[in-house]
Amino acid sequence: MSIGASLRTDPKRELWFVWYSTVAFYSLYSVVFFVLTRTQPPGRPWLTPEQTVGWFADRHWGLLVGFALIFVLGGFSATSIALITYSIRRMSVSRAYAYSYLILYAIAAIPGFLFICVAMTVGAMRPERDPTLMHWLYDFGFLSFSGTMGVFLVGSLVWMAAILLDKNGVFPRWFGYLNLCNALTEVVIAPSWIFQRGVLAWNGVIAWWIDVAVFGMYTVVFIYLLRSLIQRDDLGTGPVPALPPAAAPRAHPLAKVLAG
Amino acid sequence: MTAIEDVHTDPGVDEDGHVPGEGDMWFFVVFESLVFTSYFCVYLYYRAQHEHAFLKAQSALNLPLGIVETILLLTSSWAIARCVQEVRAARYRSAQRLAMVTAGLGVAFLGCKLAEWVRLIGEGHTFTSSEFMQHFFFLTGMHAIHLLIGFVVLGVILYQLADPRRRSHQTIETCSTYWHTVDLFWVLIFALLYIVR
Repeated sequence: MSIGASLRTDPKRELWFVWYSTVAFYSLYSVVFFVLTRTQPPGRPWLTPEQTVGWFADRHWGLLVGFALIFVLGGFSATSIALITYSIRRMSVSRAYAYSYLILYAIAAIPGFLFICVAMTVGAMRPERDPTLMHWLYDFGFLSFSGTMGVFLVGSLVWMAAILLDKNGVFPRWFGYLNLCNALTEVVIAPSWIFQRGVLAWNGVIAWWIDVAVFGMYTVVFIYLLRSLIQRDDLGTGPVPALPPAAAPRAHPLAKVLAG
Repeated sequence: MTAIEDVHTDPGVDEDGHVPGEGDMWFFVVFESLVFTSYFCVYLYYRAQHEHAFLKAQSALNLPLGIVETILLLTSSWAIARCVQEVRAARYRSAQRLAMVTAGLGVAFLGCKLAEWVRLIGEGHTFTSSEFMQHFFFLTGMHAIHLLIGFVVLGVILYQLADPRRRSHQTIETCSTYWHTVDLFWVLIFALLYIVR
């Protein structure tokens, strides 16, 4: 069957479109934050106003171009939220879980994702601005990005509860527990509002580096499991069937370990 | 009795060779242990960098109270292990009592911990007063959050035991695994913060 015919007839084409959009969004997100704007790993919280002016100057075009890309394509963040909401709708649990997740993440994305883009772009736009104001934008950008991660905590717990209560086998139960691990690391970022230095500051070893390691693993795992769900999904309402052995993707090494 | 029969009668391993409870819960145990291990490594690194300051701040801790807290949690682990044994023996009333004892010991631990935090803060040892106290309040606070989740888990056990139609041995074993994990984290935190000098 040709690709065109497959696109016309495949009932899962929308799901695949959303899944590939999710992969594209996370790739764009990583490139913009880590490479173009160099806002991750975050700047040092103890910079003076004059030093923050230098920080903005050092990244001037990166901030403007990188966050312009986010303002154009950042809406694709909705695809991952939509696909996760779909996965919860596919479970045997109440729809309230799916809608809670959808609303929580839609709201949390504003302070946790967009505020830093706006604040840093405003800072980069007029480098001659008063250093005190530049310092304010710097603090506002990083605190809104890192300090509001706790808002995502309840979303992870909602997803966890849905997975553990589900009878349709949409996700393996260990992923429910991984959601709990991720939620607990969201708590760790809260002290960044208090500390300007040390392991719990917004760039600290515990508050940033360990958290990002956990979140990175969590993101890779949930994107992989969403792909697996689409492959197995019969678009019905009952238990999600397993893939036939010939079509089954290669088993994840972690799954083999857990299967004992 | 043969060696094979010995393996099958091992109380920690099922007849089919699986560990108690859901295998998936052991994923949580391993992953969360790795996360806590990374916190411990960070603590030990900074402790090695500022040994004198850490020792000075550490002297504000009340070691006897830490020992009492440890005994409370270890006893709660014993109680939840007995609870699982009673469930396996179909003595559900006794299992319910032991789950309640576990919860009571957990509450007592949390009460001691709160009293310790209040005393330290009253003496000027706050979250921001020193690097040691930053680690102390962080590690004990994270453990307290795990313990609070543990109360929800104990609630699941009591909910299961309350009705004969719901009594899933596997779920009860899974919940007890969580409780033991939280206790294990405390033993390590206690050793690092109170004992290591």
